[in-house]
Amino acid sequence: MLPFLPGIVPFGVVAGFTPVSFGFTWIDSWLGSLLMFAGAAQLATYQLINEDASIWIILLTVTAINLRYVLYSASIAPHLADANRLTRLLAGYGLSDQIYPICHSDYRTHEWGLDERVAYYTGGTLLLWVLWQACTLIGAFAGQIIPVFWSLEFIIPLTFLTLALQTLKTMAHRVTAISGALVSFVGLDLPYSLGLILGAISGVCFGVLYQRATR
Amino acid sequence: MTLDFLFVVGLAGIITLGLKSSFIEGQTYFTLPSWLVTALEFVPPAVLCSLIVPNIFKGDPGLVQEFGQVAVDPKPIAAILAAVAFFATKRTIPTIVTGMMSLYLVYWLQI
Repeated sequence: MLPFLPGIVPFGVVAGFTPVSFGFTWIDSWLGSLLMFAGAAQLATYQLINEDASIWIILLTVTAINLRYVLYSASIAPHLADANRLTRLLAGYGLSDQIYPICHSDYRTHEWGLDERVAYYTGGTLLLWVLWQACTLIGAFAGQIIPVFWSLEFIIPLTFLTLALQTLKTMAHRVTAISGALVSFVGLDLPYSLGLILGAISGVCFGVLYQRATR
Repeated sequence: MTLDFLFVVGLAGIITLGLKSSFIEGQTYFTLPSWLVTALEFVPPAVLCSLIVPNIFKGDPGLVQEFGQVAVDPKPIAAILAAVAFFATKRTIPTIVTGMMSLYLVYWLQI
């Protein structure tokens, strides 16, 4: 888990800071962090609320951004199947981009019993959760004293850009990204931020079609 | 904090928990079809790129709101330079710092 931690700090601070730069209070900013514990979805939620997007667009976007957790969940589930309900619920809440790859690889290479698997998952997740909440709070408090002309809200697209570029593993992913961005650009002036949803849907469709065509 | 805000963020939290817990809680009840697993792989780049576009091509950054408009919007240029920094370093902080510095520089060069 330790190699992941330095990368969490700036992202957590940005996730706490940007809602405050939009005019939300530090409690508003922290609430998203507590309820979602999912950085990209938090940032998108506050950005879309700030743009007066409709609730459906906000919830669809949160769903789309968080769909990857379904894959993580499916992969981790067999290892936690025998845990009690509360443990499974907390494991679901704490699932993250960082704990998933660690457990995914270490569960398969170690002969651990349920208690050891749960302890391993809990230790890593708790460390990450505490650091994430602390960074969000620091960001939220910092946001109240940094003037607007620093344009720190621009860190949101830059953060998304970094996350997006990290996902471009194959040509099909690049086709997805470019087509999604182009459709979103063409639909910039559509009402209710519809361009965003159309861009996301068409990006996925083009990616799947490209992968099938080149297989 | 308004009730509307609480409602939206609360629902976003419930959706997030639902997706994260989907299989950890419900694996005995359902499995994902393989075509959906394939499609899910393409969701992150599609959504993230669609989210970036309005941020780069719409609205004025705080800098412009405070000190006035300039002829060339600094945001798209800053985003391109940030992408270059990412491909050069593959790291988050240099990408964000390059993007922010470029934003300031491209604005400052025009005033």
